[in-house]
Amino acid sequence: MAAKDVLVYPDSRLKEICAAITNFDDSVLELLNNLVDTMIAAGHSVGIAAPQIGDLRRAAVVDVSKSKLGKKQENHGLLQMVNPVIIEREGSTVVREGCMSVPDYTGNVNRSEAIVVQFLDQNQQLQVLRTAGFEAIAIQHELDHLDGFLFLDRVSSLKTDLFRRKQK
Amino acid sequence: MQHFALTIIGRDRPGIVSQVTEILFHRGFNIADSSCSILGGQFSMILLISNPSVSSQDEFSEAFKPLEESNLSVFIRTLKPGGETRSELDGELCMISVYGADKPGIVYQVAKELGDRKINITDLNTKLIGDKENPVYVMMLEALLPEDTEIEVVEGWMEELKQKLQVDISVRSLLSMEL
Repeated sequence: MAAKDVLVYPDSRLKEICAAITNFDDSVLELLNNLVDTMIAAGHSVGIAAPQIGDLRRAAVVDVSKSKLGKKQENHGLLQMVNPVIIEREGSTVVREGCMSVPDYTGNVNRSEAIVVQFLDQNQQLQVLRTAGFEAIAIQHELDHLDGFLFLDRVSSLKTDLFRRKQK
Repeated sequence: MQHFALTIIGRDRPGIVSQVTEILFHRGFNIADSSCSILGGQFSMILLISNPSVSSQDEFSEAFKPLEESNLSVFIRTLKPGGETRSELDGELCMISVYGADKPGIVYQVAKELGDRKINITDLNTKLIGDKENPVYVMMLEALLPEDTEIEVVEGWMEELKQKLQVDISVRSLLSMEL
């Protein structure tokens, strides 16, 4: 298990549609572990998707419980998601997003306020979770990566990122 | 590399951006940061430009003559070394919306509250909306609050201004998420 380098656009792998995981073998567990390690190594970012470390399979991890913002809201802690699908959406909200794969820029993005997401967890159990707020936004952002979408494909306006990046 | 700030403004019409950038392209300039927008009936462009082989504005300022001839005003500023990179800023972004009947001093008085406390304004837009009889002034301002300044404190400052200026002001934290 190891923290991997986070790919940065224009790496073309970030624009690929990832393949569904049909064979849940050890390599999937290794991928999930690598995602968690990379997320933590990146100053504990709140999520990362497989293509960001160059693996074009449908997997992502999210954990908002360690972030200043996420802590204040109800959340599910560490979520390890294989073949995640958003099956319900509700409401709409605008958030300023930034992405480890697109440094130095943030943009205002429209996201659903609350979602129901379905996925296989690390134990191959089917999970169906309802989530709202920061966690819901993080999941939508990470799942976009699995379809080759960056927040740049969703923004209504761009701003220079004023914040010091946690990792470089 | 020497950077220059190029400001261009003139009556809005189609083709201004292409006219300006064609000159930059042919002269081998790179555009780093830029912000261009319509203000009233004017189109305004602010660009940070550079060209590895150009060190003085005298070497290219005449290239913009055709722009002046087509009624655009051009201004070039030579940046001091490092002037093209922003300093690193820390803090929490907040958005302040101010709107109400138009009157002198709205921008100044809000900005003064922040400036006096050394709070950095990072983005500011104002617009006059409504009709001639009832002009409404709208200002959207983004500011970077230092670690020790809570949103509620800013709200407190703005509450006083609200009474004084008789405008509506709201302050909210701008959630910026690194994902």
